[in-house]
Amino acid sequence: MWGSFTSELTKLARRNIILWGFGAGMFFPLLATIFTIEHAVNVPRPFVGNRGHVPFWILEQPNGLVHGVTDVSVLLGIVSLVIFATTFSLEYSQGTLRNLLVREPRRTHFLAGKFLAISAFMLAVVIVAIALSVALAFILAPGKGISTSAWTSSSGLNDLFQSVWHAYLATLFYGVFGAALGILLRSPAASIGVSLAYFIAIEAIIVGAIWSGGSNWLPDHLLNALVHGGNGDSTYYHALLMLSIYCLAIAAAIITLFRRRDA
Amino acid sequence: MPADTTDATAVHPIVASKLSKRYREVLAVDGVDIDLPRGIVAGFVGPNGAGKTTTIQLLLGLVRPTAGKARVLGEPIEHPERYLHRVGALIESPAFYPALSGQRNLEVLVRLGRLDARRIPAVLEQVGLAERAKDRVKTYSLGMKQRLGVAAALLPDPELVILDEPTNGLDPGGIREMREVMRSLADRGITVLVSSHLLREIEAICDHLMMIDHGRIVFEGPIAGLLEAQHSGITARPENVHDLGKLEQIARAAGKPARVDGDAIYVTADESYAAELNREAFAAGITLRGLEVTRASLEDAFFAITESDDGTAEAEEVPA
Repeated sequence: MWGSFTSELTKLARRNIILWGFGAGMFFPLLATIFTIEHAVNVPRPFVGNRGHVPFWILEQPNGLVHGVTDVSVLLGIVSLVIFATTFSLEYSQGTLRNLLVREPRRTHFLAGKFLAISAFMLAVVIVAIALSVALAFILAPGKGISTSAWTSSSGLNDLFQSVWHAYLATLFYGVFGAALGILLRSPAASIGVSLAYFIAIEAIIVGAIWSGGSNWLPDHLLNALVHGGNGDSTYYHALLMLSIYCLAIAAAIITLFRRRDA
Repeated sequence: MPADTTDATAVHPIVASKLSKRYREVLAVDGVDIDLPRGIVAGFVGPNGAGKTTTIQLLLGLVRPTAGKARVLGEPIEHPERYLHRVGALIESPAFYPALSGQRNLEVLVRLGRLDARRIPAVLEQVGLAERAKDRVKTYSLGMKQRLGVAAALLPDPELVILDEPTNGLDPGGIREMREVMRSLADRGITVLVSSHLLREIEAICDHLMMIDHGRIVFEGPIAGLLEAQHSGITARPENVHDLGKLEQIARAAGKPARVDGDAIYVTADESYAAELNREAFAAGITLRGLEVTRASLEDAFFAITESDDGTAEAEEVPA
């Protein structure tokens, strides 16, 4: 597994992957931070502002620092899904999988090492993206007249670390879905297309038109609940439990398929 | 093929018994028996779609057999992790990461297989890629990718090297270098199994041959033995073309299959008959202006076997 891990890191440590991965990973949190602060409105409590206009008093809470980032954590997850799906399916479409399996025939080790390496890469992306967003928030907020004193309180720091953890957990869950589709469909275009279609449109249609109770059980809604630390659809722990069950089941099925399928 | 493969594998790197692979309706490999001696260069030939690559993939644990058993370096193919660290392989067209350099691609494999990274410069040198090692693979020609594939196969300092079409895309100089690489491996006691459709190359470098057709091994053994089993041919060209019929009758009277071919007759016979034919023609008043012995080539043998309906049944016939 260590061999597969270091081998995958060797592949990930190239300029294009780093630029694309970190670029896409940073784009949404930075944009969300700029948008949230620049469009913030100075209204008294209990007014909550209009859609897209967060009041100062909410941003001045300890969790105000990561308000925008939390909202786009799901998009960070989508970036993760694309990276996992592409990385796994490219081994098939490029024909490199056979060479790799000759050097590491223990297929479960191979998959586990590869998944862990991409997970480590995504951890770096999440940390850098949120760190830059935080830095940007500290730069922009005083200019708008937003007080940042609560952000550096122990409660603020705790919220910050929780946001990083939730965002990272979401990227891992999205990663499992992406990796599974990459292995199943063996094509980057197909695996990305199918996964984006599901997470962006299909699940919303199911919940909106067919099964409203699905918001408590279907993965995209659960991931939304997870990154927000729980929401109106699901509690944080329900989302975490359900997503863990789904991912373990998917991982078991995909490992079985990968072990048995001809390369 | 021994029923019990255990003894044979003590000395033989590849032993297979009734190995089969079915893809739905297609029986890609049909009860293949292999018993490959150690320290040789063995050619693996057959028409396109005959089952060469599938057989190689079975031996490398990449596909699961439908039936039969095989051992590589004494280990069952159901457990490739027990032997692949001693095997180097190039499978089909070489596939690498185009955005990485040749050296970086080898590093990926070295780390994956926990191999010795110090071997990278040596194998790149061995295949003549040292100067382009730091260039991205997407700038490589097909021949260079092929060399990189062979370099990758040599990384684990293998006991057995399996190369699927290693001379694809190579220019004549590259083919000669590849031939030298394979011979040098055999000289070091490494067994090389090389699949190729270039029969002259196989004839030039291999000691041993496996011929597969429609998923079945139709010949396995020393190349010399196969060629000896093929009759050579004699082309006799009379000075006067009106003597062609008479010359043909002389050969047939001696029990040799003969036919007129243009301004000559072609006789299926051993080299020793050439002198006798010359004497008999002279005695019959026929002057020969040409007498040429053609030895059977691997190509002749290949077509004699693979174009027959029942494989080995026509192995000793000379093609028309």
